[in-house]
Amino acid sequence: MPRHARSTAAVALVVAAGFGLAACAAPSGDDADGGTVTFAIEGGNIANGHMNPHRTQLDSSAMVLRNVFDSLVAQNQDGSFSPWLAESYEVADDGLSYTFTLRDDVTFSDGEALDAEVVKANFDHVIDPETTSFRAAALIGYNTEQPEDSAYREAVVVDDRTVRFEFDRPFAPFLSGVATPFLGLYSPASLELDQADLAAGSPEATVGSGPFVLTEYVPDQELVLERNDDYAWAPEGAEIGTAQTLDIRILPEASVRNGALTSGEAQVIADVLPTDVDQLGDAETEVWELPGVPYSLYLNVNRGALQDVRVREAIARGIDVEADVESVYGEGYPRAWSALTSTTPGYDAALEGSWDVDAAAAEALLDEAGWTGTDAEGFRTKDGERLSVEWVAWTPQPDDAAALADLIQQDLAGIGVELVRSVVEPAEYNARYGPKEIDITDWSFAGTGGEVLANHLRTGGFQNASAVSDPSLDAILDEAAASTDPAEQAALYEQVQQWNAEQWAIVPLYSPARITASSSDVEGLSYDIYGRPLFLGVSV
Amino acid sequence: MTAAPTQRRRTAPGAAALLRALASRLGAVLMVLWGAATLAFLALQLVPGDPVDTIIGVDAQVGEETRARVREDLGLDLPPWLRYLQYLGGLLVGDLGTSFQARQPVAEVIGSAVGPTLQLAAAALGLAVLLALVGAVLSRGVLRGFVSAVELVAASTPTFWSGLLLITVFSFGLGWFPIIATRDAASLVLPAVTLAIPVAAILGQVLREGLDAAAAEPFALTVRARGAGPIRLLGHTLRHAGVGTLALAGYLLGSLLGGAVLVETVFGRAGLGRMVLAAILNRDLPVVMALVVLSGLVFAVLSQVADLGARALDPRLRSSERASG
Repeated sequence: MPRHARSTAAVALVVAAGFGLAACAAPSGDDADGGTVTFAIEGGNIANGHMNPHRTQLDSSAMVLRNVFDSLVAQNQDGSFSPWLAESYEVADDGLSYTFTLRDDVTFSDGEALDAEVVKANFDHVIDPETTSFRAAALIGYNTEQPEDSAYREAVVVDDRTVRFEFDRPFAPFLSGVATPFLGLYSPASLELDQADLAAGSPEATVGSGPFVLTEYVPDQELVLERNDDYAWAPEGAEIGTAQTLDIRILPEASVRNGALTSGEAQVIADVLPTDVDQLGDAETEVWELPGVPYSLYLNVNRGALQDVRVREAIARGIDVEADVESVYGEGYPRAWSALTSTTPGYDAALEGSWDVDAAAAEALLDEAGWTGTDAEGFRTKDGERLSVEWVAWTPQPDDAAALADLIQQDLAGIGVELVRSVVEPAEYNARYGPKEIDITDWSFAGTGGEVLANHLRTGGFQNASAVSDPSLDAILDEAAASTDPAEQAALYEQVQQWNAEQWAIVPLYSPARITASSSDVEGLSYDIYGRPLFLGVSV
Repeated sequence: MTAAPTQRRRTAPGAAALLRALASRLGAVLMVLWGAATLAFLALQLVPGDPVDTIIGVDAQVGEETRARVREDLGLDLPPWLRYLQYLGGLLVGDLGTSFQARQPVAEVIGSAVGPTLQLAAAALGLAVLLALVGAVLSRGVLRGFVSAVELVAASTPTFWSGLLLITVFSFGLGWFPIIATRDAASLVLPAVTLAIPVAAILGQVLREGLDAAAAEPFALTVRARGAGPIRLLGHTLRHAGVGTLALAGYLLGSLLGGAVLVETVFGRAGLGRMVLAAILNRDLPVVMALVVLSGLVFAVLSQVADLGARALDPRLRSSERASG
């Protein structure tokens, strides 16, 4: 920071001389006209081969790479789409093709021009087995396991500025996927490089057409991005800011990020802990509930006492969700009411307030289900057998999750249900998860829309920990997946959420939120539909 | 003592003895390396958790076939004994394998992280030695109780906490050393101080003890009787105390590397510490293996050097070896 540069350089020289390290000193110059925005992030695993948007599945990578890579369209926070590198697009009535007309003025920061061939090369790169895509391919409906079973077929170059994506069956989330940074477009020169170079990332390899250009990268430490002065193809309606340099600093410690913001060393910090929100003074905080399935308990409808819907409902009503969540996460994470979070397209707001904690009602349900006996430890019994369910989580279980589980365990003991908690190694977890030999498990699952419900509730769905298999529900989910009409889709997903509110396969607890904080010096910061900060419009 | 002059005259056998001594030292280093590689390999086989799971992560939307392909890419589909032999074979020709996560040669991955950690460790070690010396010298006077109390506190303070404290005061509070700055040498100050604190405390304690012992020896009385002042005396006793401190080299290496994990995390610095932590969490076996083998190498070489250094400092060690050999 300019304010400190001179004095610290002087101290540095004295100290470095003392250490015999003067040779290492390389004081940085300050060349920024429009100023520098310092953005501190947790950074997780970016340095471990997560700089290729087409390969990585990491959210922090998406957050960083968005500044360098543009997509064909942009998705706004309300779920609507704006033209971006494509000035227009058209969806066929049968949902089997999407045709994009490209802008004619886009160049990548290495001088290469954008045309339909480049778009095709990028999408071919996403589905190339060599890329080993962990997320991008799935987002466009390509099945890397069984390519022949994919909804996505291929990208076709129609002419220089027109590219058409063809599908074997409709895949409604395609546009949402295309809008993510995971489908950002590389310069054609980058695509010629080795996968390892792309995954490692560097100013030479990480080249897109975005509002910023990566100029310096020290893995695990810092990414320096300079504004792309030629940038004239922002998403429709977006402002372009004046900040010249975006310095992304990787600070794994949450308390250090907080201090960096409150002391003015950083202007924006990401990955704020929910319990830290009220310690950030007058910083502005953006708490953005992640779209997808909330953090929930998944009750296996095929296991023991849980086969009885009355037991499942009793468990849902026996937990004081609001109080438990608040005592662990403070104001940071809002409690959830439905199997989708409130920011997910298709969310059913009618479920809010519909199932508040009610121990008496829960006890009545258990009585009705025949769990009327009581054993020496105060747990309910039926035919001499204790009402006991096992919650299986995998290591490492975060402290906050364990704290919440403690509270839930106490709540359920209050209505006579024994909750046995097992935390097992991932390998053992997977061994039991495969054949669905788990009573209860937990997670949250981010997704672009209601289609995440299909993973969780459709027969054979990969995240169907509740082992639900209901043909009428499958039919609704399939109809929703095939629909290209957002309103119709939303209505179908509302039905699914109502089904869950009666069947209690998923007991939603809270909506994980992405919390970003910024100082008042920063103007023009905006957020995408996942709550990731966008620096396009930033000025200081 | 009497045997030494006679041996010194027989030059040819002396050279052979030197070669033999070198070969046996080299052999010891190689044994340590082999042991480290084998133990690390075994330990990593026993640690639960599938590297493929951790590589793919929780956000990924992939199934069994991609998992199988990743497993094959990484060579994890081969039986453990074959991988062990392959690994040893690779080591022999200096090939450390390819990082599971970064998909780059391990040597490159580690090479890129060595520099910052060496800087940090060198600065911390230099500072620690300086502080330990100052403490030991001060403790000869009336400050003895105070110095030893400070040492005890410093040795027992968790690095993590002292790092956060230093950041809070000198970066966020006074603004002298911004944590955001990474490119000037000033950014090295707080991390080096944090890392130096516990090392200086331990060094100081050992040095002080050695000085006490040396000062109680008859020669110290002789030196003083010749009219030497406390400074002159210190010149003699430090040489004695130094031998005991050298024996700590291995321990110091351990504290510097272990401390680097915490310091680099708190200060957001790139380096080996961060790499070790990430590699373990990610089950990046080739990187973990390479780091274990490298630490084994540095440790083995360092103890040999410390051994030789001790001989240089203490003539008694040399003469006893010659007398026995």
